[in-house]
Amino acid sequence: MLKGIHQQLDPQESPAFFIQGPKPFSRLMFFCALSLVMMAVDARFDYLGQVRQWFSTALHPLEVVASAPNEWARNIHTYFTSHNQLIQDNFKLKQQALIDHAALQRLATVDAENAHLRTLLAGDAPIIPQATLGEVMHMGRDPFSNIITLNRGSHHHITPGQAVVDEQGVVGQITRVYPFTSEVTLITDKKLSIPIQIERNQLRAIAFGEGKRNTLDIPYLPTSVDIKVGDKLVTSGIDGVYPAGLAVAVVTQIKQSQDSPFAKIISRPIAGVNNHKHVLILQVPDSPAINPSSESRAVLPRNNAQHLDQSVVDVLQKNNAAVDPHPVTETPVLEGTNPDNAASPITPENTPTPAAPEHP
Amino acid sequence: MKPVKFSTFLFTMLVGLIFQLYPWSSSGIIIHPDFLLVIMIYWILQAPYHCNIGWVWFAGLLVDLSTGSLLGQHALTFAITAFLGLIYQRRLVLFNRWQLYLYVLFLFGVQRLLILLLKLFAGGEIPDWTYGLPVLSDLILWQFMIIWFGELTRPKKL
Repeated sequence: MLKGIHQQLDPQESPAFFIQGPKPFSRLMFFCALSLVMMAVDARFDYLGQVRQWFSTALHPLEVVASAPNEWARNIHTYFTSHNQLIQDNFKLKQQALIDHAALQRLATVDAENAHLRTLLAGDAPIIPQATLGEVMHMGRDPFSNIITLNRGSHHHITPGQAVVDEQGVVGQITRVYPFTSEVTLITDKKLSIPIQIERNQLRAIAFGEGKRNTLDIPYLPTSVDIKVGDKLVTSGIDGVYPAGLAVAVVTQIKQSQDSPFAKIISRPIAGVNNHKHVLILQVPDSPAINPSSESRAVLPRNNAQHLDQSVVDVLQKNNAAVDPHPVTETPVLEGTNPDNAASPITPENTPTPAAPEHP
Repeated sequence: MKPVKFSTFLFTMLVGLIFQLYPWSSSGIIIHPDFLLVIMIYWILQAPYHCNIGWVWFAGLLVDLSTGSLLGQHALTFAITAFLGLIYQRRLVLFNRWQLYLYVLFLFGVQRLLILLLKLFAGGEIPDWTYGLPVLSDLILWQFMIIWFGELTRPKKL
């Protein structure tokens, strides 16, 4: 009798457990176990990175579809931006360009001078990083992490670990790369720390993100440390990821408590960490190029100084070529002077650089 | 009422995924509903012959991949939530609208809470009260699902 009733029912009305195969509870247990294993594997090992890449590539078309309305809205907005606005912008940009040009002219001179001074101190040549322009596609969908997604990925030669900056300062670091997109962890994220230097007195420290408060914390500095509210923090460059001297944050608050030997120093990021459209992705400077020179400097300072000398001559020549309307062309003369240098110790007087412009 | 087509189920899942991938601005992210969760919970109550815990788990996995969070996190919470819905599925279709709202609200809340717990285990910090807001937008989306695909079908009187 009972069996007959069940045969009459159409599928949606038969009780769930009759057509469901395994019982819901065993199903649940199976999938719970599966996801727990996946979480453990994902957290501890790197196996799932490839899976993530594939899925991300598969999801990319959908992502494009999903962001299309936004794109259209933006295009329409741009289209209807008033003529006046454009003229104003143009005017402003031209003014800015003039100011920047003036600064750039000085920069070439200062660069050359800097390179020269570094030679005298047997320092490394300044690192000028290559950069890629990226566009912010969207903020992270996860409210727990401070992540933005850029429209540049491994197809555009982006690798994890690259620094990301905007026109004001450091934004963050690339932490995950997909074929067409990449994820940037912002400097305010809890997982990210950044080596900094106080611009005023060159004091080095490490700043940690504070998560959702959008601030940076500089722990482990004694209460007596020389930091004031308003001090600017810049990258120190000792990590080899962020080029030195990029603006990071401004100190906004210093708390000293009785029961802690450390001051609580809060700072606010300078870069518009949450509100920019275009950012620059900087290349990580080649560490192998730095390491051998620093090793050889430790052992053989003289040789290294000469080696660097030649490289700096090259840099100077390049700079001169950029600045001088009449570039210096005779490299053979410079190479001829090199053996002399190899024989005699380097002093400021016999560096070939001042002599270079005098040979027409 | 006719049984729901499997293609309808797949299509809504796809649409939910697209909405999930929509680039929410920073203010939108506070209130944006878990599209896939609502859609999957609706189908597991409405059409348990198409949508089982495995499908809901898969939807959670898609959410994991799209948010870039730890793989399996959302999948786990989705599966548990689906289970809590499924064990009462026979009773829920008999509930009136308000009872159903209450239970669904409970389900969405459980999912949020589970995610929060997992994140806290992973070293996250406790978010502020706005973290709970998406539960309400989930409920609004639930109402839309009811409007588009009909009330949960009660079994016919034998």
